[in-house]
Amino acid sequence: MTEVLLLGRRAVREVIRLPAATVPTLFIPLFFLAVNIGQISKTFPSSTPFLHGQGYVGFQLPVSLMFAVCTATSGLALVTEIDMGYFDKLLVAPIRRASIIFGRLAADMVRGLAVATLVLLVALAFGMQVRSGIPGALVLIVLAALWGVAYAGIGMLVALHTRNVQATNASFLVFFPLLFLTPNFVPFELLTPLMEVLARANPVSYVIEGLRSLVLEGWVLDKLAICCGVILVTGLVLTWLSVRAIDAYDR
Amino acid sequence: MDAVRRRRASPSPPISIILDSGRRHTALSTIRSPRSGSYQGRPTLRRHAGPPLGCEPVTPIAPTHFPAAPARESDGENPNAIRARELQRTFRGGVDAVRGIDLDVARGEIFGFLGPNGAGKTTTVRMLCTLLPPTAGSAHVGELDVVENPAAVRRRIGVALQEIGLDPLQTGRELLELQCGLYGIVGAQARARAQELLELVGLLDAAERRTKTYSGGMKRRLDLASALVHSPDVLFLDEPTTGLDPASRLTIWEEVRRINAQGTTVFLTTQYMEEADQLCDRVAIIDRGVIVAEGTPEELKSQLGHDVVSVELDGADLAATQAAIGELEGLERVVTGRDSLALYLEDGPGSIAEIVRRLDGARIRVGAISVARPSLDDVFLRATGRRLEGDEENHGGRDA
Repeated sequence: MTEVLLLGRRAVREVIRLPAATVPTLFIPLFFLAVNIGQISKTFPSSTPFLHGQGYVGFQLPVSLMFAVCTATSGLALVTEIDMGYFDKLLVAPIRRASIIFGRLAADMVRGLAVATLVLLVALAFGMQVRSGIPGALVLIVLAALWGVAYAGIGMLVALHTRNVQATNASFLVFFPLLFLTPNFVPFELLTPLMEVLARANPVSYVIEGLRSLVLEGWVLDKLAICCGVILVTGLVLTWLSVRAIDAYDR
Repeated sequence: MDAVRRRRASPSPPISIILDSGRRHTALSTIRSPRSGSYQGRPTLRRHAGPPLGCEPVTPIAPTHFPAAPARESDGENPNAIRARELQRTFRGGVDAVRGIDLDVARGEIFGFLGPNGAGKTTTVRMLCTLLPPTAGSAHVGELDVVENPAAVRRRIGVALQEIGLDPLQTGRELLELQCGLYGIVGAQARARAQELLELVGLLDAAERRTKTYSGGMKRRLDLASALVHSPDVLFLDEPTTGLDPASRLTIWEEVRRINAQGTTVFLTTQYMEEADQLCDRVAIIDRGVIVAEGTPEELKSQLGHDVVSVELDGADLAATQAAIGELEGLERVVTGRDSLALYLEDGPGSIAEIVRRLDGARIRVGAISVARPSLDDVFLRATGRRLEGDEENHGGRDA
């Protein structure tokens, strides 16, 4: 446990000391939030049933949160360490290799909390309200950050398997189909049949639905439970695969 | 340095006779014999003062020409710091990086693993450090098998690999304290140990700076310090001075000697002959994944059993010069380069006068004549047929 704390602290320090790695990742979510609201809010006024009396910004916020927390930053940090030799230094230390993964995930959690808070504050500035109140807002931030932690496994997997910076960077592209094959602009019911099938098969849809429910509807436990379940399962599977990959590294 | 340099008027060339150019700096004068565990006298090493390079190719001699490695033990307790048997690593695609090598490194010695790029040095180190599993064979650090007990091996060893493993965003102090933590040294103990190591490698002034601002030499010293946080029994240094300027290289050498003097066994890979000669109690030369020679530097050099007289042609005709010199007493062979001639003789200093006389007689003016004891580079040349530290100019000669 000590080694996870030490490596986590180091990774968090890295986030703080290298804002250039985090700040750009905020641009896309904030840009999409502003553009989507500007273009679509008149189409879907607050009287629209699925908005539950709120503006379109409340519907879009979870999508922007997904954009903000889903990054390949940990994977890139890992592959950079592999590249410059520090990774070997860690591997040759008498620690569990999994600690290296968990240390990175700790930094993802901290980064996720920070960027989710910032995006939420921007949405609040656009006039959004969180129906579930301050506790709901906190849960929203934590769940978004946890999803970021779960998603980080993809970047780390690519990093460990390819050991290539470009390939790891490109792993971010995986997120686009995952994000856009969801009810990101309108609810499931308003999607075309094919898109609805694809969206319902996409686990990210349920994360967005859960986060959205906290903003628009209040405490809808079944949606929250499914959201938490998806985050948990995704996190466990991707982290397990990452741990397996690091255990098998050069073996 | 007992060197005598004499310059004569034209047409005779300047002559440089280097009888014993420098002695090994380390205080070590004896080593523990890997075979018996007892101490034995150790010959003084002479610094490399070989002939101008550029004398190849020559036909490689069989590795058996060189002294065999110390007696091997097939099983039982390992009295050595490192032992490997038939160690082998084949990479995907069938590349045989290491092809069944045996190693015995005695406790407390500095062992040099010498070879050109791609010879298998780093692959061997990575196997011994538990970073890479062998394809076949076995390796032990102390009594611990590197495959069966990697975690315990890692507690025993310190490693500074060829690529300097530093996190650029941390300060030197933070990095050492983290490294301490990874070895179970935390809190005040970690802070004290980091301070001690920063002092040891002379980085106290730069301790609060991020490592990305360090020079190459500073990075290498910090990397060395980070390998020492847990006072390892065995220290692996993979080309610790590659890319460093001469001053930084000397600093690293001094630190390696100091670490070794405290009882740490050092396994050092290098592609620099002088480094091996200056630092190492024993060396093994690896080429294309096979150990081609092993012994103390002095043993290896004395196996060649001759001096090397180098004639720098400086524009003189090669064939005419060679013809003028002709046959000499004790001449073993002549190796020619583009603008040089290397004569391997039993008695180099004693032959100089005759060589000069013959050149004078033929009215041939050459640039310089020097005589030197064989160097490890000569050992490498004899074992592999190639120069280790040669450059492009060294590839145009012929074996005469």
